[in-house]
Amino acid sequence: MLNLANLADLAHVHLLLNHFPTIGTILGLGLLLLSFIRKNEHLRKVSFEVIFLIALATFPVYVSGAAAAEALKGAAGVSAAAITAHNDAALGSFIMMEITGFFAWLALWRMRRIGRMTSGLTYTVLVLLVLTVAAVARAANMGGDIRHPEIEGGQYAGLFGSSGSAPGLISAAGIKDYVLQHPYVWPTCETLHFIGMSLMFGVLMIVNLRLVGWLRGMSFASVHRLLPFGLMGFGINFITGMFFFIAASEQYTQNVAFHWKVVLLMLAGVSYLVLTVYDEAWTLPASAQAPWPGKILGASALVLSVGVMYFGRMLPFIGNAF
Amino acid sequence: MLTSMAQSAFSTWLLSSNSIWAYPTVLTLHTFGMMVLVGAALMIDLRLLGFAQAIPLQSMDRLFGIVWAAFALNAVTGTMLFIADADKRGPSLFFWTKLAFVALGLVMTSMIRRRNFAGGTAPVVISSASKRLAIVSLLAWCAAITTGRLLAYVA
Repeated sequence: MLNLANLADLAHVHLLLNHFPTIGTILGLGLLLLSFIRKNEHLRKVSFEVIFLIALATFPVYVSGAAAAEALKGAAGVSAAAITAHNDAALGSFIMMEITGFFAWLALWRMRRIGRMTSGLTYTVLVLLVLTVAAVARAANMGGDIRHPEIEGGQYAGLFGSSGSAPGLISAAGIKDYVLQHPYVWPTCETLHFIGMSLMFGVLMIVNLRLVGWLRGMSFASVHRLLPFGLMGFGINFITGMFFFIAASEQYTQNVAFHWKVVLLMLAGVSYLVLTVYDEAWTLPASAQAPWPGKILGASALVLSVGVMYFGRMLPFIGNAF
Repeated sequence: MLTSMAQSAFSTWLLSSNSIWAYPTVLTLHTFGMMVLVGAALMIDLRLLGFAQAIPLQSMDRLFGIVWAAFALNAVTGTMLFIADADKRGPSLFFWTKLAFVALGLVMTSMIRRRNFAGGTAPVVISSASKRLAIVSLLAWCAAITTGRLLAYVA
């Protein structure tokens, strides 16, 4: 299996990517505000697309952060308490970001369906985004506190170790303890992960097989109605997947199957956005073939989603996860 | 017989081989089949329950082919996985409960097809009996996944 990155590389990846949420959310907010000033619905759509993509990009930022923490383990001048505090703040802002990204997606989906942006969803996204910008900025600022050369010999308390961290609203260590101390949590999450996957893939199968040309008899606009169910399946898998990651991050940070899964998941996420806002396919009648870019999109979305499943199932075999 | 299956050369190969093409691939194919089968069945169920009504019901008939193709894959891979662990799975009530849910799901899916897709024209109004079948089918598939996944955790 082609190795993508080692722990030290991933620490660099974190330093590279960690600016995306901070700058991306501010850019998204700027575009959204500009769309109000100019009364430009197209600009609003672009801002929601940016917000969705940033919500997507925040995922590798968070998981590479765990790798960076492992790489810094025991390093001189690094405060373990600062890592824990940053991790908790980052997790909170990550959750905010994903909720905002979900509502931005919902607004885009509704817009495609009814042909205009509804104000209820628009203002929901605006409020959530303002809160997210604040949460992300706070997490980024706390991340900057981690490397302090003056704290020589600072003891590292474990990746999500609870020692030295001030109790906050969300505690990664608390989640980790909860998952590991209750034996039913992991199997329950695994079960839900498989149900969510089936729901998600059912939607992806119909929408993309329609684009490829196999399931004609359905207009693209009609299968577009299924997309929220796909996102519901993704939501189930995102939440249960994060329980796995937080509880046993060391199984994933150095697992090449997980690295590939994240890469394919990002690409699959982009294809889901394209499916949601795809203009050419929207007007496709039930019996017509999609134009060739649509067929390529459908085929690649199918390959990507099977790839995500493949690397997920192979986590214990290619890598070291249980 | 269960013990001899579990001690067969095939079982030893599947479980002890370090090759990625042995147990990991069979298990992954089984997961793929599950995702395709249940995914297609859930979409039919959701449509019958009134979601995405813009999709012509008749056009979903092709999904039953996907259900059966995926079931064929899982019958083969499932048999392989059973032989490898026959002495453990054979006496396990939990395992047979899983198979019962799979059978229930297949029966529901077949009844849904016979009731709604026979004769080349799908009904415009979906009967409440069909909706009940869709609910039982949905629950049966979720229960099959639940019991199947938990097989990895029960003794």
